[in-house]
Amino acid sequence: MSEQLTLYFSKISRYSHKVELALIEANAPYTAYQVDLDNKPEWFTSKVNPVGEVPAVTYGGPNVNPDDPSPLSAKIAESNVILEFLVDLHPDSGLMPNDLVLRAKVRFFIDATTKYIEGMYFPFIEGNESFENVLKGIEFIQGLLEEGRDFAVGDHYTIADACITPHLARLKIVTETDIGSFPVGMGYKLGEELKGAKFTKFKKYAERMLGRPSLKQTCDEEAITGYLKRFLRAQF
Amino acid sequence: MSEQLTLYLHKVSPFSQKIQLALAEANAPYRAYQVNLRNKPEWFTSKLNPVGQVPVLTYGGPNVNPEDPSSLSAKIVESNVILEFLADLYPNSGLLPKDPVLRAKVRFFIDATMKHVEGTYLAFVQGNESFDNVLKAIEFIQELLEEGRNFAVGDHYTIADACISPHLARLKIVTETDIGNFPAGMGYRLGEELEGPRFAKFKKYAQRMLDRPGFQQTHDEEAIIGYFKRRFTNRIQ
Repeated sequence: MSEQLTLYFSKISRYSHKVELALIEANAPYTAYQVDLDNKPEWFTSKVNPVGEVPAVTYGGPNVNPDDPSPLSAKIAESNVILEFLVDLHPDSGLMPNDLVLRAKVRFFIDATTKYIEGMYFPFIEGNESFENVLKGIEFIQGLLEEGRDFAVGDHYTIADACITPHLARLKIVTETDIGSFPVGMGYKLGEELKGAKFTKFKKYAERMLGRPSLKQTCDEEAITGYLKRFLRAQF
Repeated sequence: MSEQLTLYLHKVSPFSQKIQLALAEANAPYRAYQVNLRNKPEWFTSKLNPVGQVPVLTYGGPNVNPEDPSSLSAKIVESNVILEFLADLYPNSGLLPKDPVLRAKVRFFIDATMKHVEGTYLAFVQGNESFDNVLKAIEFIQELLEEGRNFAVGDHYTIADACISPHLARLKIVTETDIGNFPAGMGYRLGEELEGPRFAKFKKYAQRMLDRPGFQQTHDEEAIIGYFKRRFTNRIQ
């Protein structure tokens, strides 16, 4: 039984990116609508997500134009809530393992990503902190990765992989372009640190995630770089 | 098939209480072990949780003394991860509804509790902020509560209720005892604000949660007050 699913997203949002990845990896049909976050349509805040953020999902209800959402659809917000929702809608997709303990591992990985990766990203980009905490966060995550395994948990792409990959993509861009409010060269330096032997396991994992078609289809490097450049201007 | 379940907890920890509440409401059998957090046993950090925090749940493995955890049991940490684990372990307990949209509502409620309530409550009690943000947080939560419903989501006690209840209890203690690092009287004032009509729906919900037997059995008010008195000794003038 196929209820409609519409994802409101933005190319620059690391949060809606998670949901795009999960949908593609699950082969789930959906309608995508890009919200201009600098010029938010009134109907988005009044009819889809009162907090005005992406990602937001509408589920069910009549088939309507995404810019004319129906009051009959369910509205779901918060990226990690949406990821779990997709698991519930597609229980055989592999987005979550069946084993209870492995499911707890996926959720722990997501919790660690929120705490140690997501939280460390902006303070560094905005020039408020050195990349020390970024490295500590990556070390913690690396500790969770099992040698010889392709995914964060188990033998299949899960919402844990979807959760962290947008940050891997953005960190890579920062280390290659050095764009941010941090002192000049710090982005490159972070990249050099990550090439060291200490981070081999992490680097291999990141490369596998970034090499997947789901990432290539959804990662708009130009848009992300353009967004990061706003932080460059703030350096003055 | 009944795998063993052991919960390492502490009676003043709101995070371990969440788990106790969920277990009580699911009628799930388990062993409880209180960890001396001020004098942490070496085996706790080395065999259970390197971060040294409660709650920790061990699942499966042989039946052993809680002080001698087996390497064969699964170790699960992070209160919200444990709550979801229990919902998976007891799929018919009602801890999570079956409907995907309602499940999303439970998780959104939990997310809101973490984002809005936990942080603002702590900032207020530690004397770092006025209670304005606490009130905003409570308003946000209140918006999610449906009129005439007994629980956060749906018609059954869920992990959403388990998640917020310990914080409701501690808020109540703060408003009744005025213990905290905020200026004297601010705790009482917060209590007065919460008595107003603006927060009637929230207050009814909070009272229902605190009246539940599962809550009463796991709530040690004296211990929490004692802990607060020791912890919050730097009142802002």
